[in-house]
Amino acid sequence: MLTKRQNLMETIKGGQPDRFVNQYEFLELIRESPKEAFMTPMGTEVKNAWGITIRWPEGQIGSFPVHDHGHKVLNDITEWREYVKAPSVDYPAERWTEAIAHAKAVDRNEKFVTAFVTPGIFELTHYLMGMEDALMSYYEEPEAMHELIEYLTEYELQYAQQLIDNLHPDALFHHDDWGSQISSFMSPETFKEFILPAYKKIYGFYKDNGVELIVHHSDSYGVNLVPFMIEMGIDIWQGVMNTNNIPELIKEYGGQISFMGGLHSGEIDFPDWTPEIVMEHVERACKECGKHYFIPNLSQGAPISSFPGVYEATSEAIDKMSAELF
Amino acid sequence: MSKIEEVKVLVETGKSKKVAAAVQEALDAGDKAQDILDAMIASMGVVGDRFSSGEIFVPEMLIAAKAMSKGVEVLKPVMAGDGSSSLGTCIMGTVAGDLHDIGKNLVVMMLESAGFDMVDLGVDVPAERFVEAVKENNNVVLIACSGLLTTTMPALKEAVQTIKAAYPDMKVIVGGAPVTQEYANEIGADGYAPDAGSSASKAKELIGA
Repeated sequence: MLTKRQNLMETIKGGQPDRFVNQYEFLELIRESPKEAFMTPMGTEVKNAWGITIRWPEGQIGSFPVHDHGHKVLNDITEWREYVKAPSVDYPAERWTEAIAHAKAVDRNEKFVTAFVTPGIFELTHYLMGMEDALMSYYEEPEAMHELIEYLTEYELQYAQQLIDNLHPDALFHHDDWGSQISSFMSPETFKEFILPAYKKIYGFYKDNGVELIVHHSDSYGVNLVPFMIEMGIDIWQGVMNTNNIPELIKEYGGQISFMGGLHSGEIDFPDWTPEIVMEHVERACKECGKHYFIPNLSQGAPISSFPGVYEATSEAIDKMSAELF
Repeated sequence: MSKIEEVKVLVETGKSKKVAAAVQEALDAGDKAQDILDAMIASMGVVGDRFSSGEIFVPEMLIAAKAMSKGVEVLKPVMAGDGSSSLGTCIMGTVAGDLHDIGKNLVVMMLESAGFDMVDLGVDVPAERFVEAVKENNNVVLIACSGLLTTTMPALKEAVQTIKAAYPDMKVIVGGAPVTQEYANEIGADGYAPDAGSSASKAKELIGA
């Protein structure tokens, strides 16, 4: 039996996997690394060192950046130099202790020691400005937006160096949501102009420093961005929703990139979920997408579910499909 | 190119910094304010169709709506007291338990651009709040409810049914990622728009405009 790591590599290289890769099993996420807060527990609010306020209201399913009056860090993109101040990435050594210990404890033959980065460059632009202002700024003030993205990219590269020096990661799991459920947020041309160059630098840097696998999270539509994902060095697009035609994507791009998702959290992970509903979706995804270049997984950007038991039930259903199809 | 044509192109391409001057030039050249407004509304119709067909994306729609609002600012004093251009008031909000506002904001812009007077109740709006808003505002002809999460679809149903219980003849349109025409029918909504681009034409159809 292949290790989880070996089975993953066989799957994404079109080799001989002996079962489906089961969701996030191949990634050992090192989440203890020091970083700025972009999440906060339910019912709380935090302002991080960027000046971004993050709030998780009671009863909601996640944290949101707050952009009502007085909460935006940046109101005018042309003034970004005045208002956007990147935090230092030089965290004291003791803040790395837990993360380093976690990384050292991982059997790297079994799993990938995985650095975890969120939010991404695009997300950071709208965390700072609000979504509408950010999206319009790409079109109305392209020069200033290029400058801001260059500044954010430089920050990411400095943080990447810290992750590499401290964890020596085999893989990177990097968030940046690039679309809604039915379309990309920006046109492919705009994406190519602004986002692609930033990620070519970032993902290129990780790969040049021993990171074997780049897993990028965007739980969205994104068919029109896949060629750029490949160009920037993504190995696995995690979060690919079934609003994308995944079997077609596999046919067209398999071997250049793999697709992890196909299980729409919104259709499976809800209060009235049942194991039967989970099984139905898992069976459809596994049979439609096949054994190569596909990893069945809830579209959520972490190995969790919003409602208790859904993630585990999904893993069980995938095991059943492995037993049936392998 | 006529001045009105120029305004149309500037709105369609989202040139918000240039449109106010172009509208003023059109007025100075003798074009009627209503004709200029109609031209901009038509431009936004084109923008909505392009968005629905996938030809353009959210930012292009945002900058077009921003350009139109800059043009409308110039027309407002000229058209003051002339209520003929309004299609009536539309109340809009994202339903209880749901904080998503981008899609809702896009629809607000598109309906406003189509000629509705918009009252935006924001996000996480309890069903009763839609009913209260009808009482608080004049000439309400339409209520638009948005929901993005599968978990808040029951709240969408509750909103529609609460509105219909209070105002059986009030037209209600719904939308949001998990919503379908079938679900809209099931919960008793009068209309459904699959995206912001098509929301304006559907809204106008519902009120017979």
